[in-house]
This record gives sequence, C-alpha cells and structure tokens, in this order.
Amino acid sequence: MLDIPVNEAVTLADLTRDPYPIYRQMRAETPVVRVAQTNRIFVTRFEHTKWIKENPEIFSSDDPMTPMKPAFQAHTLMRKDGDEHRAERMAMQPAFSPKVIRTDWAELYTKLAEDYVSRLPKGETVDLFADLCGPIAARILAHMLGLEEATDEQMQRWSQRLIDGAGNFGNDPELFALSDAANAEMNALFEQVMPRHIAAPNNSAFSVMLNAKMPIPVSQMYANIKIAIGGGINEPRDALATILYGLLTNPEQLEEVKRQEAWLDAFEEGVRWVAPIQVSGRRTTQEVQIGDHVIGPNETVMTIQASANRDEAIYADGEAFNVFRDKHPHQAFGSGPHHCAGAQVARRTLGQIMLPLLFERFPNMALTDPKEVIWSGFGFRGPLNLPVTLA
Amino acid sequence: MTKITFVQPDGRSQTVSARAGDSVMQTALAHSIDGIFAECGGAMMCATCHCYIEDARTGEASQGEEDLLDCAEDEVRPSSRLSCQIKVSEDLDGLVVHLPVTVD
Ligand code: FES
Repeated sequence: MLDIPVNEAVTLADLTRDPYPIYRQMRAETPVVRVAQTNRIFVTRFEHTKWIKENPEIFSSDDPMTPMKPAFQAHTLMRKDGDEHRAERMAMQPAFSPKVIRTDWAELYTKLAEDYVSRLPKGETVDLFADLCGPIAARILAHMLGLEEATDEQMQRWSQRLIDGAGNFGNDPELFALSDAANAEMNALFEQVMPRHIAAPNNSAFSVMLNAKMPIPVSQMYANIKIAIGGGINEPRDALATILYGLLTNPEQLEEVKRQEAWLDAFEEGVRWVAPIQVSGRRTTQEVQIGDHVIGPNETVMTIQASANRDEAIYADGEAFNVFRDKHPHQAFGSGPHHCAGAQVARRTLGQIMLPLLFERFPNMALTDPKEVIWSGFGFRGPLNLPVTLA
Repeated sequence: MTKITFVQPDGRSQTVSARAGDSVMQTALAHSIDGIFAECGGAMMCATCHCYIEDARTGEASQGEEDLLDCAEDEVRPSSRLSCQIKVSEDLDGLVVHLPVTVD
C-alpha cells in the first residue's frame, strides 16, 4: 500500500482555466492524489469515480461543513444520504418523469423554444450564450417548478447567487449577504404561489410536492426548489452552449448529425466532452482503499467526472468532440443515489427539441471566431460566451 | 449456474449465465443486453433498468420500487420491475426477462 501522493503545484486558478491537461496527467501518473491547495483528494479515473458514487455508505454526501447550508438556508437533499435523501427526492421526481415530460413539458418547451429562437435576429451576430442558452433554460425551469411568475432575469440571478454561496469556501460575508437576499425573494414568491398550486394541482414540482399524499415539510419543499434553481439553469445552459460549440467547430460532424438527425447523440457527446458539473465531493465514513492507496475516514474525496469522461481506458481519443464515437455510458449525470434528476428532461428538451429547431432556423450559423469563446470553471464548466452569426 | 433469458421487444432472445449475488441488471450489463441502461448503477433512482417479469419467484416490488416505476420511460405494466432490485440466486434458474419498448 502506498502513501497518497501530494500535488503541491496545481492551483484552483489552473483548474478553472483548463483542467483537462492536468487531469490527463493525473489519470496517467497519480489517479488518486491530494491536491495541496484545496486539501482534497482528487480521483480522476472512470472506474474509481463511478465506484465511489455507487457506494454511499463509504462515501457520504453529508458534509456538515459545506457552505451550501448557509447559502440555501437549509440542509438540502444534495447533502443527504439514504432514506432521508430518497424521501425528499421522490417528493419532486414525478414532475420530471418521462410521462410528465411527454404530457406537459415537451409541448410547452417546444412552444417556448420556438418563441425564444424566433426572437433572434437573422443575419446578425449575437451572443447565443446570453441571448438564448441562459434565458430558455430559466424559462422552462420556471414552468417545471411552478414559478411562472419569476422572470428569466430573476431565475438566473437567484441561481447564480445560490451557486456562488454554495461555493463560498472562504466564508466571504458579502457572498452570503447576496444569497440571503436571493433567498428572501424566492421565499416571498413561494408564499405567493402556494395557494394557487393547492387550489389547482398541476404537474409542476411545487404543486406535486404540496399535493402529495404524505407531503414533506414545507421548509424542505423550499429547499428542494432552491436546489432545482441552483442546479437546473447552469447545466442545461452550459450543455447547450458546449454542444453548439462542438458542432459549429466540427462542420463535417454537424452535416452528418443533420443528415442522420443524430441530435440525441450530439447531446450525449457534448455533455461527455465537457460535463457541466465537473466534480462532486464525497466524505469518507471509514478507512477505504482506492486504487493503490488507503484513505482514512473523514477525508473529502473529489470525484472528477470531467476526467472520467475522457479516461483513455474507456474512450479512444476522449479529448476530442466526436458525436460518432463508439458509444459508452458517460458520467456527466453521475451515478448512484444522486444520479441527476434532470437527465431525462435535459435530453428531451435540448436533444430532441432545441438542437433540431435551432439548426432548422439557422442552418448556416457560424461562430465568428472560435478563439473568442472563453471557457471557464472548475466545479461547473462551460463557455462564457458564444458569438454566432445567424444565417 | 443460473440461466436467465432476456427477450427483446422484437422477439430476439439471449440466454446467459448469471452469477449468484449479482442483480439481474448487473447480469444484463455484463452481457451487453440492449435496453438496460442502469444509469444510477443500481441505486433505485433512475428507472432505466426497467423490465417486465412474470415470475412469482422474484417476489413483490417494494414501495420505493413501485414509486420509481411510475417514473419509468416506457409503458408500466403490472409485471414491471426494476432489474437492479432483483438478486440472482440458484432459485431463479430459467428466469425470463422481457425488455420494454421505447415509447415516443
Ligand atoms: S439501475 Fe437505476 S433504478 Fe435500477
């Protein structure tokens, strides 16, 4: 058994700029390594990250120190295990089930997508990230949660404040003040719409939770909705921007995708290539061996799905965007009890509706210059802009 | 050795040897059976391991399994099960598992 190697060199700034060369080297040389700057153990190989997520008794999601608690003003299901997690998740899950997606969200999303896409000015250059990816993600989520009253701007701002708060490991009071203000606005809206959802039950997450046979406490409903706001905008936004970038920088693949209508494959490849959520933390509940190393209890292990999704052991040429690669399940949606609750919604709304619609309307759209696109992020990753000429 | 037969909606069938202790879902993955995705890896959270089994030997679905079956992608029938919730044992020799049709 070997001591865990320590990496003193890698900084958060490096990882935020471009983590992929760093992960490639880690997979090859130090697949289990303590990154000194974060004091966390990074696990970068596919077989390990999957195994860790599927063994929650050893690798708990419960982290008493997480800044998520002050940011969300609640202990949320993301940071719970076992029955408690299941009860809270299943309270909301029916709103995101394939059945409800078919009956409610697919039609609505098609209408919304047409609406948002038709507002884009043909012939001009726009930033699709800011003008489409973010707002459409906010709008569909507002409907799915039962918060139609919220504006796109509010939804996006709340989401960002929650995320910034949840990542506030330095305990900056400024960031918590901002997330507190967002919480107050959200709570006020929840109170305002609650009677409507009780009076007229519907398939939105809030209504489903309120009208359940055995409802969870209202405070947990609030926490659940906030988790969905924090987690349900960035991911589809970044996924859409990433897939568009991949297709627009690989025109032969785009042509072939159009020909075969392989939009769902394009979706899967985009989220494999650059997973919108790149890392997830788990806490060891006991001494455990990962690869050649033994890790003590109460260590924070970062499972890097971004890296697993490019693991040479699974993917040939995993660094490249290739819609037509040999299929293999990826880990962008995680695995185990916390497998992404929004995976099916994302596949259908982006893969089946938005992508074909957008390319039908603008078959010749093009990036002004791929080099202008700025990629960023360690925990969450995607392009920060997507300047496209619409044609 | 426990034999399990997987039957595709088009009638194609494949009989494989299952290891005792594995779940039916793990058996399917180990033999690359089409139609079982098991995205959550058996945590009973994704319902992408949905199948139809008419065989009393597999017992009843738990309440949690029933609840998640309501969220399955394909048509849910009385015989619907989550294959990750069924453990293979010698007793299940000859089990027949039908894979669901994708509704769209
Ligand atoms: S594998 Fe996910 S529910 Fe069975």
